[in-house]
Amino acid sequence: MKLSVLLENSYLVLIFSALLLIGNANLWDYKLSHEFPYGYLASDAFQHQARAEAIKDAGNFRFEANYISHGFENAVGRYPPIIYHLAVIFSYLTKLEVYDSIYFIVFFLASLSAIIMYFVIKGLNKNVALLSLPLSLLIFSSPNYIGFTWGHWPSMLGQFFLIALFWSFYRMEMEKSFLLVGIFLSAIILTHTSELIFGLFFIFVFFMVGLLFKRIDLKDGKNLAFGIILALIISFYYLIIFRYSWFIEQPYSFAVKPLWEGNPGFYLANFQLLLVFILIGIVFSLAKIKYMHIAFLAGVGMLIMGYGNYFGFDVRAFQLRFLWPIYLSAFFGFGIYSILKFFIKKWNLIYSVSLGIVFLVIFSGLIKIPFIPGYQKLTTQGIMDSFHWEALKWLSEKTPENSKLYFFYGDIYNQDALLRNSKRVHFQVDPNDFIENINNRRISREYVTELPGDGGGGIVYRKSPFSFGEYQKENEQGYFFGKKDICEFDYYVFDKASRQQALAQYNLLIANELLKNNFTSVAFENHVLVILKNNNVGADCIEERSF
Amino acid sequence: MKKEAFNELKRESIYIGALFIIFLIIFKIIFFKESFFIVLRAVFSIFWLFVFPGYSIMLYWNDKLDFAERLVIGVALSAAVIGISSYYIGLIGLNVKYHSILLPIILISSGIFLFSRKK
Repeated sequence: MKLSVLLENSYLVLIFSALLLIGNANLWDYKLSHEFPYGYLASDAFQHQARAEAIKDAGNFRFEANYISHGFENAVGRYPPIIYHLAVIFSYLTKLEVYDSIYFIVFFLASLSAIIMYFVIKGLNKNVALLSLPLSLLIFSSPNYIGFTWGHWPSMLGQFFLIALFWSFYRMEMEKSFLLVGIFLSAIILTHTSELIFGLFFIFVFFMVGLLFKRIDLKDGKNLAFGIILALIISFYYLIIFRYSWFIEQPYSFAVKPLWEGNPGFYLANFQLLLVFILIGIVFSLAKIKYMHIAFLAGVGMLIMGYGNYFGFDVRAFQLRFLWPIYLSAFFGFGIYSILKFFIKKWNLIYSVSLGIVFLVIFSGLIKIPFIPGYQKLTTQGIMDSFHWEALKWLSEKTPENSKLYFFYGDIYNQDALLRNSKRVHFQVDPNDFIENINNRRISREYVTELPGDGGGGIVYRKSPFSFGEYQKENEQGYFFGKKDICEFDYYVFDKASRQQALAQYNLLIANELLKNNFTSVAFENHVLVILKNNNVGADCIEERSF
Repeated sequence: MKKEAFNELKRESIYIGALFIIFLIIFKIIFFKESFFIVLRAVFSIFWLFVFPGYSIMLYWNDKLDFAERLVIGVALSAAVIGISSYYIGLIGLNVKYHSILLPIILISSGIFLFSRKK
């Protein structure tokens, strides 16, 4: 192996290691296996973890588990499946729990996106690629990091395949390259289908620029056509499900949404001073547009689509911005390289690697420079704790499968996807009604109750190969939310501690009231919660009274 | 398989072996609080699931791409092919727990077969 190749490859390994360190290991307390879902900061993260766990239990993703689907049986598995299958397979191989394996897969492949983009940029210029690469570290800076910690995982993985698609266009001249185009396109469809729009937009830009400068030929057209046909064949089964679920439930509608409600969105201004170099790179790249460098076309395409929140793409556009530091890295590297070339005519590989390492040090936050963004270390166990996890595991393993669970107030239960780890159909008290009962100093038999679950894309079931019904439309709203008789449930979960102790005290008041009958007993208890079992479902289990 | 192709495979197998050791060391440094056995299993799983199958398939394009590029893109290709195949094979009825062994074996052998035919 030549020395220059060795230097280049060592640099790639160094950057990839840095990405894994600051992205994954820092958050995970430098461990791969954890006692409970670690570093999960929002409900969506549990949503994906619980689904992967359900697929592991079922052995396939034909159906969504009933405890995810508001209690409905035979709901078709309608979420794009690749991330879940990879997580389950990786879990079997590593013996890591699914909650660790799915999170690791996301970090690992998102980090690898940067290296794939490196090869795309290398087609333009190796020095530019070396200078561009460290900018990728900013995918783990604030606010982009929520793409990981808040559970936008399918989008991150979909974008990984999107970048692989860019690479396949860069290598379009290779024999049978349509196979790569087709496989990566279908991987996008089967990982996070909305990224297909971004992929198609990139293809549109590629062909428009190509036609304008007469740099594409019939062979490119044939390759693309074969690739698309292959992708359609591979994805056909899933696309039928998509057509009758997501396509109906979340159709495109034009809207201008400058802000991402409830989320800290990433904006170009977040690049701070680095934006100067990115803009210089964009300006200089215009002079080279006729050469159709894929890195530039992809960068421009994803920059435009990142502003899709102004023309109807809303959350999807903001998700795309999570990886802007990768998409726009070509402009950053090109901007820096173009400036330096004015001063140093004989630029070489050593300069690029050295400067790349300086960028690595700065962007990883080791040295903080005003107006230059950098990574800020975050180590947290997240929402879950060992006590709640112990209880959820107990419920999933020690209760009959058809048990109905009732969760009273808990501080963490507003991130309700975590409750799916009970693997049982579960209900939870409405906090507003709960507080109202406290204020009225009343113990009730009926509380306003929510039946949590995942209705995204519509909970559809199959009537025939091309005909689907939708459970949500066929059931009254009262099924999902309304007053429920707590005596109708098999198990009750009460948190004994809360940030607002009055809520926990009221929990225990109800628990003690239930224990006064002779058919409810303590089934499980640890330091923070207690689970009661109702041995006579439907009987008069509690005396309504004031306190 | 022709001798030339076999020699190429042999040389690159040494690179992959070296890379395995490098990644094992890096993972042990990054995840320093983890036991060596779990780190070893994780790195082996990455190589078994992504690197070996991806590398084998990408051998088809070995005359166009250098080793590093084939290896990296191979990981993406393997993730795509294994994810897609696992979904459909699961639907057909083969439990996903068998896929971790079966799918990489199929991909590795297919890749080497195509490479030997091409050569």
